[in-house]
Amino acid sequence: MYSLFGGIFLGWSLGANDASNIFGTAVSSRMIKFWTAAFLASIFVILGALISGQAGIETLKGLTSFDISQAVISSIAAALTVSAMTFLGLPVSTSQAVVGAIIGIGIINSQLHLAGLGKIFICWFTTPVGGALITIILYKLLAFVYNHLKISLFRSDQLLRICLVISGSYGAYALGANNVANVAAVFVGAGTLSISGAALIGGLSIAFGILTFSKPVMETIGKKLVSLDPFSALMVSMAVGITIHIYTLIGVPVSSSQAVVGSVLGIGIIKGASTVSIHTLKNILLAWFLTPVIACLIAILITFGSYLEYTG
Amino acid sequence: MFKFFSKHENRVEELIYKYLENFQLICENFEKAVFSCIREPLCEEFNFLKEQTDKYESKADDIIDEINNLMYGKVLIPDSREDIMKLLHALDKIPGYLEIVLFMIKYQKLVIPEKFFKDIQELIKISLEACETLSKQVIGFIKKETGTRTFMNTIDKHESHCDYIEKRLIQKTFTSNIDPFVKLQLKELIICMGDISDQADRVSKMVNIFSMKRMV
Repeated sequence: MYSLFGGIFLGWSLGANDASNIFGTAVSSRMIKFWTAAFLASIFVILGALISGQAGIETLKGLTSFDISQAVISSIAAALTVSAMTFLGLPVSTSQAVVGAIIGIGIINSQLHLAGLGKIFICWFTTPVGGALITIILYKLLAFVYNHLKISLFRSDQLLRICLVISGSYGAYALGANNVANVAAVFVGAGTLSISGAALIGGLSIAFGILTFSKPVMETIGKKLVSLDPFSALMVSMAVGITIHIYTLIGVPVSSSQAVVGSVLGIGIIKGASTVSIHTLKNILLAWFLTPVIACLIAILITFGSYLEYTG
Repeated sequence: MFKFFSKHENRVEELIYKYLENFQLICENFEKAVFSCIREPLCEEFNFLKEQTDKYESKADDIIDEINNLMYGKVLIPDSREDIMKLLHALDKIPGYLEIVLFMIKYQKLVIPEKFFKDIQELIKISLEACETLSKQVIGFIKKETGTRTFMNTIDKHESHCDYIEKRLIQKTFTSNIDPFVKLQLKELIICMGDISDQADRVSKMVNIFSMKRMV
C-alpha cells in the first residue's frame, strides 16, 4: 500500500498544476468562483478517470514491464522532474515526465515497446498543433453563430458563463480520462492494481490535488498567459477539452499545458496578435526536450542507486 | 431558462431601462423649464420644473447606486461589468450638466435677452435630440441590436450642429451691447449648454467601441 504513495503524490501535483489549464482563465478573470471550478473539476476528473481512463493506462503499461519497486521509482522520478521543472519556472508536462521515467526503466530492463513509443512521440508533437487547429475551427464556426444570436448583452453573458462551466467540466473529464494513466499505469503494469482500481485511485489523487492546492495556480494562470476576451477564453477551454479527449480516445496521455499554449496561439493567429511571447515558446521547446530526458536519467540513476550495497 | 438562473442580472437590466426612462424625464423637464424661462424669466413654472428636474436627477443617482451595488455582487462577467459601469457613469454626467444650466439660470437670476431666444431654443432642442438618440443607442447596445453606428453618426451630426450654434451665440453675445457682466454670465451658460451635446457625443462613441468589442 505504501508503494502507492509515489503515484498518489504525482496525482496530487498533477491535479494542483493542470486544473488551471482547464478552469484557469475563467477563475483568474473571475467569471467562475474558484470553489465552483474546483468542485466541478474534481467530480469530472474522477468520472473521466473511471469511465474513459483505461485506454491510456493500457498504452503506458504496455511500454515496458515493471516490478513494484520499478513502478515506485518511475513515479518518484517523474514527480522529482515535475518539481524541478516547476522550480525552474519551465512549463512542465507530467505526461512527458512519466513517459521519460518509464523509458528509463525500460532501458535498464532492455525492454522497450518502440511502436507504442512512436505513437506517443507523434501525439506530443501534434498536441499543441491540434490545440491551435481545433481552436481556429471552433472560433470561426461559433463566432459566426454568436454574432448572429438575437439575445441581449445580459443573456449572452449568461450564455458564455454557462458554456464555460460546461466546457470546463468537459475539459476536467478529458483531463481525468487522459492523465490518470500518468499516475496509475505503472502500478497496473507492476500488477499492484487492477485497471479500475488504478483509475479510481488516480482520479481521487488528482481531485485531491485540485481541491487542496490548485487555487494559487488557477488565480495566476491568467497573468502568465495573455488576457483573453471571454469568448476567446471559452474557445480555449473547449479546444483544450476536445484536444485532450481526442488523445484519450487514441489512448495516449498528453500535456494539457501544451494543448493550452497551442490553443492560445490559435487565438493569436485568428486575431493577428502575438498571444504567446517568443520567450514562453522557447521555454516550452526547451521543456519539451528536457522533461522526458531528465525523468529518464533520474529513473536510471535511482534504479542504479537501489542496486548499490553497503560493503564497508 | 436564463431568467430562472439570473435574478440579479434581470434586476440590473430592469434598472438600466428604468434609468433610461428617468433620463428621458429629466430631459423633458429640462426642456420645459428652459422654454418657460425664455417665455417668462424666473416664473413659478420654471421653479417647479427645476425642482422636478432635480428630483429626477437625484432618482437617477439612486438607480446608479443600486446598479453599482449589484455589480459589485458579481453580476455579469468582468468585461461587461466594467463597460456597463463606465457607460452609466459617463451617461450620468448629462443630467449633471442639465442641472447646472438650470442652477445658473435660477441663482444667477439670468434673463435671456430676446435676440438669443431662437438660437438658444435651437441649441437646447438639438442637444436633447442627441440625448434621445443616445438613449436609443444604449438600449440597442444592451439588446445587441444593429444600428449602433448609425445612431453614433446622427449624434455626431447633432453635436457638430450644436458646436456651430454655440460659437454663433458666443459671437453674438460679445458683439451685442448688453451689460459686460451679463455677457460673461451668458457665455458661461452657452458653454454649459454646449457641454450637453459634447458629452452625448462622447458617450455615443464609447457605446460604439463597446459594441464593436463585443463582436467576436
